[in-house]
Amino acid sequence: MTPNSKTETPAFARITTRREFGLAVLIALITIFVSFFDPRFLDAINLRDIIVRCAPTAIVACGMMLVIVTAEIDISVGSLMALTAAAMGIMLSENEWNLSLWIGLPATLMLGTAVGLLTGLLVTVGKVPSIIVTLGLLTALRGFTTLIMGGKNIDGLPPSLQHAAKQGFWGIPLSVWVAACVLVMTLVIIAWTPLGRRIFAFGSSRYAATMCGLSEKPLKLFVFAYTGFLTALATIVDVPRLPTIESGIGLEFELLVVTCVVVGGVSINGGRGTLLGVLLAVVLMTMIRPVLTYLEIGEEAEKWTKAIQGTLIAIAVIGDSLFRRRGRGESRS
Amino acid sequence: MMIHSQATQSDRLLLRIDRINKAYGGVQALQDVSFDVGRGEVHALCGENGAGKSTLIKLLTGVTRPDSGSLVMNQRALPVGNVRGCEAAGIAVLHQESTAFPDLNAIDNIFVGRELRVAGGLLLARDAMRREAAELLEQLGESIDLTVPLGQLPLAQRQMVSMARAMSCQCQLFIMDEPTASLSAQESQKMLALVKQLKEQGISILYVSHRLEEIFQIADSVTVLRDGQYVATHAVEDLHDRKLIQLMVGRELDELTVRQTVSQSKSDETQKPSTLKVDQLSRQGIFQDVSFSIAPGEIVGMAGLVGAGRSEIARAIFGIDPYDEGTVEVNGQMLPGGSVARAKHVGMAMVPEDRQHEGLVLPMSVQNNLTLANLRDLQDFGWLSQTRERGQAKRLIADLDIRVTDPQLPVETLSGGNQQKVVIGKWLASMPNLLILDEPTRGVDVAAKAQVHRLIRELADEGMATLIISSELSEILTLSDRILVIHQGRIAAEFEGATATQEQLLHAALVGSAS
Amino acid sequence: MNQPRAVARFNYWHELVLFGLLIGLLALAEYLSPGFLSLRGQLYLSRHLWVFAIMALSMTLIIIAGGIDLSVGSAMGLCAVAFGVTFEMTGQLHVAIIACLLTGVLGGLFNGALIARFNLHPLIVTLATYAAFRGMAEGISQGESYSQFGDRFSELSRATLLGIPLPGYLFFVLAVLVGLFLWRTPTGRSIYAIGHSAEAARFSGISVNRIRIRLYTFSGFLAGLATVIYVSRFDTAKADAGRGFELDVITAVVVGGTSIFGGRGTIVGTVLGLLLIHETRQFVGRYWQVDELKSIVVGVLLIVSVLIYQLLVTQRETRSH
Repeated sequence: MTPNSKTETPAFARITTRREFGLAVLIALITIFVSFFDPRFLDAINLRDIIVRCAPTAIVACGMMLVIVTAEIDISVGSLMALTAAAMGIMLSENEWNLSLWIGLPATLMLGTAVGLLTGLLVTVGKVPSIIVTLGLLTALRGFTTLIMGGKNIDGLPPSLQHAAKQGFWGIPLSVWVAACVLVMTLVIIAWTPLGRRIFAFGSSRYAATMCGLSEKPLKLFVFAYTGFLTALATIVDVPRLPTIESGIGLEFELLVVTCVVVGGVSINGGRGTLLGVLLAVVLMTMIRPVLTYLEIGEEAEKWTKAIQGTLIAIAVIGDSLFRRRGRGESRS
Repeated sequence: MMIHSQATQSDRLLLRIDRINKAYGGVQALQDVSFDVGRGEVHALCGENGAGKSTLIKLLTGVTRPDSGSLVMNQRALPVGNVRGCEAAGIAVLHQESTAFPDLNAIDNIFVGRELRVAGGLLLARDAMRREAAELLEQLGESIDLTVPLGQLPLAQRQMVSMARAMSCQCQLFIMDEPTASLSAQESQKMLALVKQLKEQGISILYVSHRLEEIFQIADSVTVLRDGQYVATHAVEDLHDRKLIQLMVGRELDELTVRQTVSQSKSDETQKPSTLKVDQLSRQGIFQDVSFSIAPGEIVGMAGLVGAGRSEIARAIFGIDPYDEGTVEVNGQMLPGGSVARAKHVGMAMVPEDRQHEGLVLPMSVQNNLTLANLRDLQDFGWLSQTRERGQAKRLIADLDIRVTDPQLPVETLSGGNQQKVVIGKWLASMPNLLILDEPTRGVDVAAKAQVHRLIRELADEGMATLIISSELSEILTLSDRILVIHQGRIAAEFEGATATQEQLLHAALVGSAS
Repeated sequence: MNQPRAVARFNYWHELVLFGLLIGLLALAEYLSPGFLSLRGQLYLSRHLWVFAIMALSMTLIIIAGGIDLSVGSAMGLCAVAFGVTFEMTGQLHVAIIACLLTGVLGGLFNGALIARFNLHPLIVTLATYAAFRGMAEGISQGESYSQFGDRFSELSRATLLGIPLPGYLFFVLAVLVGLFLWRTPTGRSIYAIGHSAEAARFSGISVNRIRIRLYTFSGFLAGLATVIYVSRFDTAKADAGRGFELDVITAVVVGGTSIFGGRGTIVGTVLGLLLIHETRQFVGRYWQVDELKSIVVGVLLIVSVLIYQLLVTQRETRSH
C-alpha cells in the first residue's frame, strides 16, 4: 500500500514485462524452432535475405514511429513509395529521361519530402485529421502514379544503382547500410535532441505542451516531412532490386509499417514507444514469410502469412492491454 | 523627497497590471483590470469561477495576449503572447490542471521547452539536466525515481515535479493556480510550507485558491475579481471570511451553511431497512473489507486523503469498476458487480469526480445531457418522444435553477456550477433513491456551492440516501449525518456528523484510527 | 451568447452543402456530357454503388460511436470464401448464403469483443483483423476461386423492379431503418454520447461495451450481405473480394460529414456522400475516359471536403471566442 514499495519494481520484472523483451524472446524461439526443422534457415544467405527484406520497412518505420508518437498517423506511405518509384524510374531510366543520378536521386528525395510536408501542412494549418489526409493521399497518389506511368512498366534503371541495391558494398546491399544510418540518426533525434524530446512531450500531453510554450506546427511538419523523406529513401535503395517498376509497388506497405510500429509497442495514443521495439517488430513481421517457406507445411504455406501477421498484432495488443490493466491497478493503490 | 519615495516604491513594485482588457467573442473576460504585485509578497487572487482569474494567468504567462492594456514587470513591458518570453522575464507558473507529461520521466518534464544544450545547441546536455533535476527535487525534499515515467508516480510527487519545473527557471513571480486542489490535507500543508519558503527567498507569489482558509494562512494581500472586473485589493489583516466572500459574490450570502438540526430526528429513521448495504467489499490492493449501510434520508460523508480509495469504493459500488469480494445490496436487492445499468435499474445514481469527462458529454446540448441517463423512460414504442424529452429538460432546468438561455446550447458553454447542476439533474429525472456524490463542489464557485449543498439537503429530507465524498472537511461536516473516514482502503473510523470536528477527521485520515 | 446558439441550432448545414454540391456536380456533368443524367444510364451505373453503400451504413454508426472498422473489405473476402466453400460442399445456395452471413457476423463479433472486452483501440484491432481475415481467406482458398452458382442466384443482383435493381431496394430499406434508429431511439442517442465521451456515457448507465459489440457485429453482418450481392453480381467468390473497399466506404462516410473523432454524423449525410462520390467517379470516367483520374478526384474530394469544413469551424471559433 505504501507508494514506495509499489513504485520500485525489481529490475528483472521491469525488463521482462517490456515489449522489447517479449519480441526478442519470440524471435529467438521462432528461429530455434525453424532451424531445428531445417538448419539451412540459419545460413548466411537466408539471414542476409531476411535483413535485406527488413531494410525498407525499418527505414520508413523510423519516420512512422515519430508520426504515431505525436498521436497522428500516415497511411499514405505505400502510395508515396509507388509515386517516388515511378518518378525515379521516369527520371533515371535510359528509356525515359535518362537524367544523371546526381539530379534524379535528390529530386526523388525532394518529391517524397514535399509530399510529407504537404501532409504536415494539411494536418497543422488545415486542421484536417491526419487519417483523413493520408487516406485521401493513399487513393490520390496511387491514381497519380498510374497516370504518369501511362499503363506501362518502367525498366532500364542505371546499372550502378541496381548494383548498389543488389550487391551493395562489402557484400551488403545499400538498403541495409542506409537502414543502419537511418536508425542511428533517428535514435540521436529521439534521445539527444530537444526536437525529439519535444515530439514525445507533445504526444504525451498536448495540453501540457501548449502550456510549456511548445508549438505544434514545426514538430508535426518535421515528423511528416521526415516520413516522406524516408519513404523516398527506402524507394531509392530498395526498388532498383526489382526487375521493373510497376504501379503496384508498395501496395499495402503502409499497413505493414503501421503494424510494425504498433507491435513494436508504440502507443497509438501518442507519447510512448522505443526504437528498439519497432526494429524488433520489423524483424518479426518480416521473418514470417521465410519461416513459412522453410517449415514446408504445404505448397502454398505463404498464403497464410497475412493471417499470422494479423494474429500477431492481435496478440501484441491484447497482451499490452492485459499488462496495462495490471499496471494501472498497481499504480492506483 | 518625492523622488526618493518614488524610488522605494518602484523598488517594492514587481508587477503592474494596467487597464487590461480581454474579450472572447462577445464575452468580456477581463475589463479594465489594474493592480500591483509587490516584491516578495504572497498575493492571493480570489473570485468565483468565471471571474477572470484563469484568463489573467494566461495573459501573464503568455499563453494568450490582451486586447488592450499593459503588463509591466520590473519596469519593463512583458512580451505578451510569448510563453518563453514571459518565462525569461521571470514568471513561472504552476497550473491548476496537471501540466505534466505522463509518458516522460521527471528530468524531461522539468526541462522540456528549455532544454540545456551542448554542441552549439544541437544536442541535449543529458548529464547536466539529470544533475540539476536531482538537485531541484532535493531542495523540495522529494526523492523521486528520475527514470520512471511521471504517469506512474503518485499525484503528490507529480505535483512536486511540476513545482521543480517552475522553480528551475530563476523566477521572480511564481503564479500558483489552485496548487492544492487535488492534494490531501497533509500534502497541502507541505505545499503551503513551500510557499512560505519561496517567499523568504524574496520571490513573489500570485496565489489562486478556492480554499479560503489557505488564503488567510499564507497571503499578505488579496485581490478580488468579479465578472471580469477588478473589485478590490486588501491587506489580509483587514479581511475575514464573510467579508471576502461578500466581495467575491457581490452581495451578502444569506446562508453559507445549510446544516439543519434534522439529523437528530433521523436516529429513529435508521431503524428502517437501509437503502444501501455494503458488506465486506474488497478489491485487491485498492480497498479491503468495506462494510457500511445508508438509511433512507441519511447523508453519509466519506472523508480521507486523496488516494485512500474513496472514489474507488464509490466506483465499485456503482459498477464502474469491478470488485473481488463482498456484496452490494440496494433496497434488499443484491447487485452483480461491474454493471452500471443494473445499478441504475435499482435506483442508484452517481455524480462522478471528473465532471468534464465522466459527468457530462460536453459538446452535447443541455437537454440531451439531462435526458441521457433515462432515455428508456422517454420512449414511446421504442422511439424517443421529443415532446417528453423537451418537457423533462425544461422541468429539471426550472427545478434546479440551471442558468441557461436555451436548453439546446452545448453544455460546455455553462459555468462550472451550472454544469454540476446538470450532472445532478440528469439523475434526478430517473427518481433514484441512492445518490453518490464524488467531490460535488470541486471547482464550483461559492454561490453555486451553497445552492448545491441546499439541494443535497432537500433531497435527503425527501428520503434520498446519500453518500458524499469530499476532500473539503468543512463540506463533509456541514452536510453529513454520519462520517466514515477511509485510510489506506479501509474504514478507519466512524463519527456522528453532529459531534465530529475537523481535527478528529484529519487525525483519523492521517493516522488511521480515531483519536 | 448568440453565436453558440446559432451553431447549436444549425445542425444540418453539412448535409445542405453536400446536397448543393451534388446538384452542382450533376448540372455540370449534364452540361459537359449531355445524356449523363438519363434515368436509364444512372440506374445502370448504380450497380457499382450498392455493395459499398450497404457497408457505409454500419460504418457511419461505428464512426459516430468513435470507432472505425478497417476490416470490412477483408471480411468480404472471408465471407466470399465461406460462401464458395459451403456451396462446393453442399451445393445448396441458401446454406451458402447463411454461411456467408454467419461468417460476417462472427468476424464482426470478434472485432467487437476484442475492442470492448480488452478496451483496445479499434484502429489497431481492425488493422489486425484486416490482415487476419484476408490471410485466412487466402489460406483457406489457396488462391482458388469458386463460381457457377446458377442463374437464379445471379438474378438476385441483376433483376430490377421498376427499373431499379433489387439491391437498391435493399439498401434504401436498410438506410431508412438505420437512419430512424440513429435519429430517434435511445440506443441511437447513446451512440452519439459514446462517440463524444465513452466515459460519460458509461457513467450515465449506458452499456457502452454491449453497444460497441453490437455495432461491429452489425458491420460484419452487412459485410456478409454485401458479399452475397457481390458474389451474385460477378458469379465468382474469391479471396480477393472487397479488396480496398474499406477505404471507399470510409471515404464516403467522412465526405458525408461524419466526424472521424466521433459524435457527429447522420445517415442522410452518408447517403449524400455516397452519391457524391459515385457520381463524381462516373462523371470523371465518362468525361475524361481516364480511369486513374477517378481515384485522384475521390482522394482530393475527401481531403478538400474535410478541409473546407475545418476552415469554416475554425473561422467560426475565432469569431465566437
